Amino acid sequence: MDLTSSLQRLSAHRPQQRQRAQETLDRGLPLLNSGKYARTGDEGWETVEKTALAALDLGQLDVADRCLRVLADKFPASPRVECLTGIRMEATESPDMCLKYYDDLLETDSSNASAWRRKAIVYRNMGKLDKAVEELSAMLDTFYADVEGWLELADIYSSCQHYTHSLQALSHALLLAPQNPFYFLQFAETAYLAGDIPLAMKMYLTVVDMTDDDDTDVLDTIPTGITLRAWYGVMLCTQRFITDPRAASSSASNTPAPSTATLSKLDDLSKERLRTAYLNLKNESPPTTDSELMSVVATIIQ
Amino acid sequence: MSNSNVSLYLDPQIRDWVLFPITLVMILVGVLRHYVVLLLQNPPKKVPRAAIREQRALVRSQILRATSAESPIPPTYYKSISQHLSQAFLDGTYLKDGPPKDESEKPKAPNPLTDPAAMDGMMAGMKTQMVMMVPQMIIMGWINFFFQGFVLIKLPFPLTLGFKSMLQRGIATPDMDVRWVSSLSWYFLNFFGLNGLYRLILGGDNSADSSRDMNTPFAAAAMASPQAGQPQDYNKLFKAERDNLEFAEGLYSWVAKDVEARVLKKYGR
Repeated sequence: MDLTSSLQRLSAHRPQQRQRAQETLDRGLPLLNSGKYARTGDEGWETVEKTALAALDLGQLDVADRCLRVLADKFPASPRVECLTGIRMEATESPDMCLKYYDDLLETDSSNASAWRRKAIVYRNMGKLDKAVEELSAMLDTFYADVEGWLELADIYSSCQHYTHSLQALSHALLLAPQNPFYFLQFAETAYLAGDIPLAMKMYLTVVDMTDDDDTDVLDTIPTGITLRAWYGVMLCTQRFITDPRAASSSASNTPAPSTATLSKLDDLSKERLRTAYLNLKNESPPTTDSELMSVVATIIQ
Repeated sequence: MSNSNVSLYLDPQIRDWVLFPITLVMILVGVLRHYVVLLLQNPPKKVPRAAIREQRALVRSQILRATSAESPIPPTYYKSISQHLSQAFLDGTYLKDGPPKDESEKPKAPNPLTDPAAMDGMMAGMKTQMVMMVPQMIIMGWINFFFQGFVLIKLPFPLTLGFKSMLQRGIATPDMDVRWVSSLSWYFLNFFGLNGLYRLILGGDNSADSSRDMNTPFAAAAMASPQAGQPQDYNKLFKAERDNLEFAEGLYSWVAKDVEARVLKKYGR
């Protein structure tokens, strides 16, 4: 495994992607052992940081400690390393100790956004959701452009079924990153959970509009990934409208429901799209009834 | 005019003991200067939380306004955010020192010379200037004292008379060929020409090149003064931003407004 390719792969790593932690660690560890990180400049040091995070994800505290020592030697008093030290503390120390540590960091530099966010996350892990929301909201009021903070807030709200608040947090994330279809999908799914079916439908269709391949004839394409999920959402919504007519008028955001003609066309189209996807993914003809189709497609999406 | 047959003969000792030392000393001083400037640089000043909040409040409404014509969020959400911001700007919620108590109470602009924050910025600029000026003055004095009137090198290509003042500074001969370069001119050629070499040695954003500072003396201080000297009246900016918000609200249209028709048309239904 050569250095540049592992660096390239590692630079794509985000701390949130836990499933890839092992891969990150496997690539980062030889780099750490060989000591080559120092020679590649900033990118190498960033790799060490990511290796530390991945090691913490996997509970390999000794590796994380080694990374931390290397980083602390190179960047004394860096807020980023201090925050990483805090994350390392969270692994073994009591939450109160960590809170005190972050409070100390914020005392010396009240504008340390990452320490502030970690503090909210510690509160969340302790189960004190009210404190976590309070801290996170205060932080986002100051550092508005932190998309991940907004997503975290939305996640906290939806974990306790406050879907309307979650939608509000997500709308800020959408404003900050209007080009990201995944946030739209999350917004649509949250709106569906909140019972705002017309809004959810519009958002699902927006995701479809954003993600399908414009270059080729759209009818020939096979929906995959996020587009497939969005089509599934569209079909969920149309089915809700058909079975439960009250869903059309119960929109908290006053979104108008589609007309009956549009609805039936959309219903047909979404079924046709889902069938195409199923046929191509499984190589067998899809079930004919709607409910069966929905349940089999649900298994592909998972 | 010079005759090509009659030529000067330069002692190789001049090459070894004058030309090379001048070049080497200038390179080394540049590298040294880079590291001294690095040492002199203060870490960026920590800004208190309330001040950051005040500075970034405008960005919030700018982000909202930037997307308003093709807004990703539904009308009710847009309106609530927009009106909340507008109200907050009116009430002065985001102001660093809290909402203003009295309309007549205007914050006085502090004198930049007494404001310690502004002084810091100016001092930093001055320090860098000093690190540039002092070694260059010493080198120039050294060359003038020891090597005045030396001819150091002959350029391998012919030049017109216009270059005489550039290449033969310090030698007052009307008849010498323009290709001969004097010691003082060699100093100036190095002074302006070594930047490429520094970029190779020290990387792109080095502070070794003194000719760049030379072009804009006291530029750092001049750049800093409009910001430091006149503190932004955020209250006034916020009031102005309210009009912009109202205007953007008029432009607002939801990107998903007729997405059904768009998708159906795209799929030929």
